[in-house]
Amino acid sequence: MHMSRVAVVIYTANPDNKFLDRDKYRMMLEACFRLLASGNDYTPLIKRLFTKGTVGMKTNCLARSNPTAPPLVDALSDLLIKAAGTAENDLIVWERTNRELKNAGFTLNASSFGRRCLGTDTTGVGYDNDEIHSFGQVNSLVTSILTRMVDHHINLGVLKHHSVAGMSAGLKNMYGAINNPNKYHGNNCSPFAADVSMLAPIRQKHRLTIIDAVRVQYDNGPGFDGSRMAGYGGLIVSEDSVAADRISLEILERLRKTNGRPPLADTGQDVRYLVEGQKIGLGTDDLEKIDMQAARVDDDGRMTPGELF
Amino acid sequence: MERRRFLKCIGCSAIAAAAMQTDLLPRALGGLQNAMAFTYTDELASVEARHYRKLDEGGIECGICPRKCRITDLERGYCGTRENRSDTYYTLVYGLPCALNIDPIEKKPLFHFHPGTDAFSLATAGCNVNCKCCQNWDISQSRPEQTKNIKLPPSDAVRVCRENKVPTIAYTYSEPTIFFEYMYDIAELGHKHGIRSVMISGGYIQKDPLAEVLPQLDAVKIDLKGIREEYYRDYVDGELKPVLEALVQIKNSGTWLEVVYLVIPTLNDTDEEFRDLARWVKTNLGADVPVHFTRFHPMYLLKHLPPTPQATLQRAYDTARAEGLEFVYLGNLVGHPAESTYCPGCGAVLIHRYGYQVTIKNLKGNHCGSCGREIPGRFG
Repeated sequence: MHMSRVAVVIYTANPDNKFLDRDKYRMMLEACFRLLASGNDYTPLIKRLFTKGTVGMKTNCLARSNPTAPPLVDALSDLLIKAAGTAENDLIVWERTNRELKNAGFTLNASSFGRRCLGTDTTGVGYDNDEIHSFGQVNSLVTSILTRMVDHHINLGVLKHHSVAGMSAGLKNMYGAINNPNKYHGNNCSPFAADVSMLAPIRQKHRLTIIDAVRVQYDNGPGFDGSRMAGYGGLIVSEDSVAADRISLEILERLRKTNGRPPLADTGQDVRYLVEGQKIGLGTDDLEKIDMQAARVDDDGRMTPGELF
Repeated sequence: MERRRFLKCIGCSAIAAAAMQTDLLPRALGGLQNAMAFTYTDELASVEARHYRKLDEGGIECGICPRKCRITDLERGYCGTRENRSDTYYTLVYGLPCALNIDPIEKKPLFHFHPGTDAFSLATAGCNVNCKCCQNWDISQSRPEQTKNIKLPPSDAVRVCRENKVPTIAYTYSEPTIFFEYMYDIAELGHKHGIRSVMISGGYIQKDPLAEVLPQLDAVKIDLKGIREEYYRDYVDGELKPVLEALVQIKNSGTWLEVVYLVIPTLNDTDEEFRDLARWVKTNLGADVPVHFTRFHPMYLLKHLPPTPQATLQRAYDTARAEGLEFVYLGNLVGHPAESTYCPGCGAVLIHRYGYQVTIKNLKGNHCGSCGREIPGRFG
C-alpha cells in the first residue's frame, strides 16, 4: 500500500509563542527533510525534487500580521542553494501582489541579481492569457510566475482557521495562483480548493508543501485576530499536498478544542475539499495511508521522536 | 433617418477588452468629438458599499445580488470587486472603469429606445456570475487589480456625454450590478444634466437595490440566459428564479425593458425552451416586450461549440411569434429581416435595420405611420 509521508517537526523551546529566527527555521527544516528522507543525509531528496531550474515559493501574505514567516523563506532558500545547488536568482518568492509581500516584511526584487521576490501584479508578469486552465469545476488563468518563470514549486502556506473553507493551509493557499479565486468559495471551497491544485501548471510543478504552523490562528480567520493565536511551534512538510493538509487539519482541530472552540463540522465549516482531493488523485486524505513522522527539536538541534501534541 | 455616425462608430466599436490596452484606448474612444484626457490608475477605490449587513458572528453579508455572499475580514465576494475590511464593506471599482466605448444603442441591444442614437458605454472589472459563453470574460472574470482601469468619477462620465453630445450612458459589458454605487451616482447626476442611463444586465440582483436604482434608469436590457434552472446552474453559475423576479419588477416599474436570449447550440435551443420562454414573457411581462434571440459565437469556455445556425434562430423566431410575442428580433445576423421592427397591426416596416444602420421608415412618434397603432418604446 502506498503511504504518503508527512513530516512534522515541533520546536520545543518557544514557550512564549515568539516569532522564530532564520536559524531556528533552518534547524526545523533540516529535521523535516531528515524525516522525509529517513536519514541524516537529505541532500539526495532535495536534489531529486529540485534538479536544475527555477524554484518558486508561494507565500501566504493575506494577513500581514500572520504571513508565511520571512525567516522561514530565508532558511529554505539557504537550504536550496546549499543542497540543490539552486542559484540565488533562480529562487522566486511570490504572492498575488507586491503590496502583500511588502506588508508581510519581504523585500521586493525583480532584478537579475539575488533572490527574486515579486507579486503577480508586477509589470510584465500578470496572469497568463494564453490558456484558460480547467479542471473539475475550476476554469482559471494561472499566474505567469508558475506558467513561465518557475520549473519547480513549493507551496509555503500558513496554518490557520478560515471561516469559509474551514482551514487555510496548503491547498487553499494556491487560490493565490489564479485570476478568479472569488468564484470558488462556495460549499466550503469544495471541491474547488482541490481542483485548483489539479490545474496543469500547478500540478506539474508542485514539489513540496511546507506549512508554517509555528503560530496558529485557530479561529476567526483568515484575517488576523491576535486573540485567537496559539503557539504550536511546528512545521509540516510533505510531497503530498493533500496529506500535508490532512495532518494540518488534525493540528487545527486539536488547537481549537484546547482553546474551547467547537469542531469545524459543528459550525458548518468542515473541510470538505480534502476528501475531494483524494477522489481526484491529487493526494491522500486517508489517515490510514499517511505515514506521519513527527519529531521534536531542541535549541541544539537534537531530534527526538514525538507525536503531534 | 440614417445613422449618420455609423462609420465613425465602426472605428470605435472595439470590444470592451480593447480598453485594457493603453494603445487601443484612444481608438476605442475615437468617436468622441472632443478629446478627453483619461488617466490610468493602479489604485483601487475604497468607497463603502450600500447594500450589506454586519453579521452577529462577525463578517458581513452582501445585499447586492441573490448570492448573498458572507464575507470575512479581508475577503471578497464572488464578484471580486467588494471587500470586507474590518466588517466595513467596500466597493473597489467605484469610478474605475476598465472599458469605455461609444456604441450604437442598437448594440446593447435596445431597439425601442431612441433608435439610431449613441451610448457612452462603460464597465468595471468583475461579475456576479460566470457564464461559460461570456464574450467579455477577460474583464468580467477579472478582479479590478487585474484590469487596466481609468479614473472616471461620475462627474467626468457625465461630462464626456455632455461635451460630446452623447445622450445616453450604458452600464454594460461586464455586470453593472457589481458596480451598483458607481452606476447609481452616474445615473443620478446624468439625469440632472439631461443624460439618460440604461443598464445592460443579467438581472441577477436583489429586490432592494434594483428598486433603488430603477428610478434612475431609463431602460434596462436583461440577458435571460436560459429558461431552465439547470442551465443557470451548469452554464451561468447562478439561478433563474431571481432573474425572472427581477424582470417582473422592472416591467412593473415602468422602466423600458427589452430581453435578450442568447441561443447556444445544444444547450438552450430546443423548441420547448423557445416556447416556454415566449409563454413566460407573454404571461409575466406582456406580448409587447421586445425579445431578441441572438447568435452565439464560440468563446471562453464554449469554444468547442459551433456558432448558432441561422435555422435555429429562425425556429426561435417562429416559435415566439406563434406564441404571440409582437416584437421578436434576431441578433448577430446582419441583413436578416428580423433585425427590423414591424407593426404588429398592419405589418408595415417601422424601423429598418442593417447591422447598426438604422432607418426610421414609418414611425410617427410612438405610432405606426400606416395604421396608427401605438408602438411601445421610447421614440421621442
